[in-house]
Amino acid sequence: MKRYLETGNFAIAEAAVLAGCRFFAGYPITPATELAEAMSKRLPEVGGYYLQAEDECAAMHMCIGGALGGMKVMTGTSGPGFILYADPYGWALASEIPIVVLNSGRVGPVSGITGAPGQGEFYNVRFPTQGGNYETIVLAPNSAQEAFYLTVEAFYLAERFRMPVTLLADQLVTDGMEDISVPETDAEKAQMGLRFKDREINYGPEFYPAVDKIDIPPVVLGHNTGALCSDWTPTEEGYDTEEVEACHKHVYRLIYKVRNHKDLITRYEAFALDDDPELVVVSFGTPSRVVKSAVKKARETGMKVGALRLISLWPFPDELFWRRATYLSVELNYDGQLVREIQRACPKDSRVHFLGQCGELPGVQELLTVFQSLLDGKTISPINWQREAW
Amino acid sequence: MDYLAEKYFRIRKTPSTACSGCGLGQTQKMLTKAIDDLDLGIEDVIWATSIGCSGRQTFAMWKGDGLAATHGRIYAMMSGLTLSLPPGKKIVCTVGDGDAFGIGLQHLLNAARRNVDATVVVCDNLGYQSTGGQYSWTTPEGSVTDSSPYGMYEPNWIQDGRDILNIIREAGATFLARHMSMDGEYGLESMRKALQNRGFSLVHVIFPCITNYASTALGTRNTVNMFRWIKSRARRMDETPDKDTIWRTGVYFDASNSRPDYASVIKGKVKDIDRRSLVK
Repeated sequence: MKRYLETGNFAIAEAAVLAGCRFFAGYPITPATELAEAMSKRLPEVGGYYLQAEDECAAMHMCIGGALGGMKVMTGTSGPGFILYADPYGWALASEIPIVVLNSGRVGPVSGITGAPGQGEFYNVRFPTQGGNYETIVLAPNSAQEAFYLTVEAFYLAERFRMPVTLLADQLVTDGMEDISVPETDAEKAQMGLRFKDREINYGPEFYPAVDKIDIPPVVLGHNTGALCSDWTPTEEGYDTEEVEACHKHVYRLIYKVRNHKDLITRYEAFALDDDPELVVVSFGTPSRVVKSAVKKARETGMKVGALRLISLWPFPDELFWRRATYLSVELNYDGQLVREIQRACPKDSRVHFLGQCGELPGVQELLTVFQSLLDGKTISPINWQREAW
Repeated sequence: MDYLAEKYFRIRKTPSTACSGCGLGQTQKMLTKAIDDLDLGIEDVIWATSIGCSGRQTFAMWKGDGLAATHGRIYAMMSGLTLSLPPGKKIVCTVGDGDAFGIGLQHLLNAARRNVDATVVVCDNLGYQSTGGQYSWTTPEGSVTDSSPYGMYEPNWIQDGRDILNIIREAGATFLARHMSMDGEYGLESMRKALQNRGFSLVHVIFPCITNYASTALGTRNTVNMFRWIKSRARRMDETPDKDTIWRTGVYFDASNSRPDYASVIKGKVKDIDRRSLVK
């Protein structure tokens, strides 16, 4: 193991190189700039290419180009750049091209607060492009070390599912300096639970059959396979068509290759949930670290509280919300995003509450007060998930 | 069937679904003939297209590998593709005027700056014809279209002393030409030169749209009339233009192989760094 005191961006760059990424195209944006910087230094050392694009839209299109030639590729940005990915993200989803995308959340809307953490893109990463008819895979690390691990995992999933995989981090994960271990030997990689998959070439003539199967290699150009890929509805051989039936077959694959293999994707961390606590605190990303501290403290004082941290956000793990309990969603936004999915997924008679703020994390003491209030049967807001000035 | 079509095109996609009288076929034939003249095979060429008449009509015709990007983005995609393709592949790109000079201009200029090794053929039917005939940035002044019922009065990219090719030249393209689709051998010569340049080549080809442009702007779907109308407004570079001249045809700029293409620069540099690197 090599150990560093470095940023999450650095960890992601190291992980990408370890996973076989040799192509990065990006556009500078706080708080993902250091990823581009790290890649610009690291990739040429291992024979890879770093490209700086004219904008984020071009950056992800360049990645598509790199992936179409058979390379493992990555790009990284923050919210304002992520919306410019809408166009290429859709193309990559539809043509089923593996790409790993970092979205490091800052405070929105628009440019908002550049140097502070936010979680306003929970739905944005689920619906990154127009048109619907697709599922997405999104992983959310809460530390630099986990960002390292999930980046390797993202490359693995991208290859198996032949689609873009988004890492939804936040400014504290990517910019924060932490202790990072980078494995060097195969034994160390295995010990860390890292999974790898090499790029394979699809030799056609059926590029993607109308089935929910994964592990079908993506289209790679330049091998005289007569490969075709476009933004239009494809036939199974890749020809463009206007037929509704062909569209149905195509989007069935896009949706169900993910839904029917959800077990490969779903990850979460359960803390103090074994004794069916009355209050379950749900979070993802950096706030989950404060939540865990607060739940620990709460347990010491006898409060029956547990924590559920989502590591994979999409496809949404509905099955984790079977408990008849009171739920509290702690998020870095004011409008309440994750809480809506919890409301949808949990048993109908559960109470669901929302505690949200932006730019800074909630304090442990603040959380303990909220826990107590909810355990006492009080609401923290007249309408479930609106924050009240309590 | 034409021997070129038999050799290079998929049976499934020929004949194309273009409207009768459309000049896109002439343009595509000119390019395919140039490919044939240079003895390039199906495996040597990656055919890229985009949105619009020129994009959709030409997509998947090539027997070899083909791709189509969303509107205006193929130039950025090519910039990445040129680095990852196996050596010796040629990227050929057929796009429309709206794609290249409208929505994709920023990516096009940056691809020219990088000198990406690709031949871009801008098939210009003087407007957005696949959406029914709206004006674009190459529609001649005064033309009546579906979105310029009073005549097109917005400054375009090709008249009043402006020329989009000058901008692309300044951006760093290494070969530029302009032709009419009915230029025959004269255009073919430029196409061959464009393909022989290892760098960013662009050939701007004006072709007639009968269904929309001719019927709205010229008031008739008479094909011969439209062909004549274009011909009367085009002058070869070595001829003297008159007051009606909109397009000068021929080679605009030829700096073929004068500077290394993008992939050579990046790959050369990376090889150099990689060799010196102790970190693996």
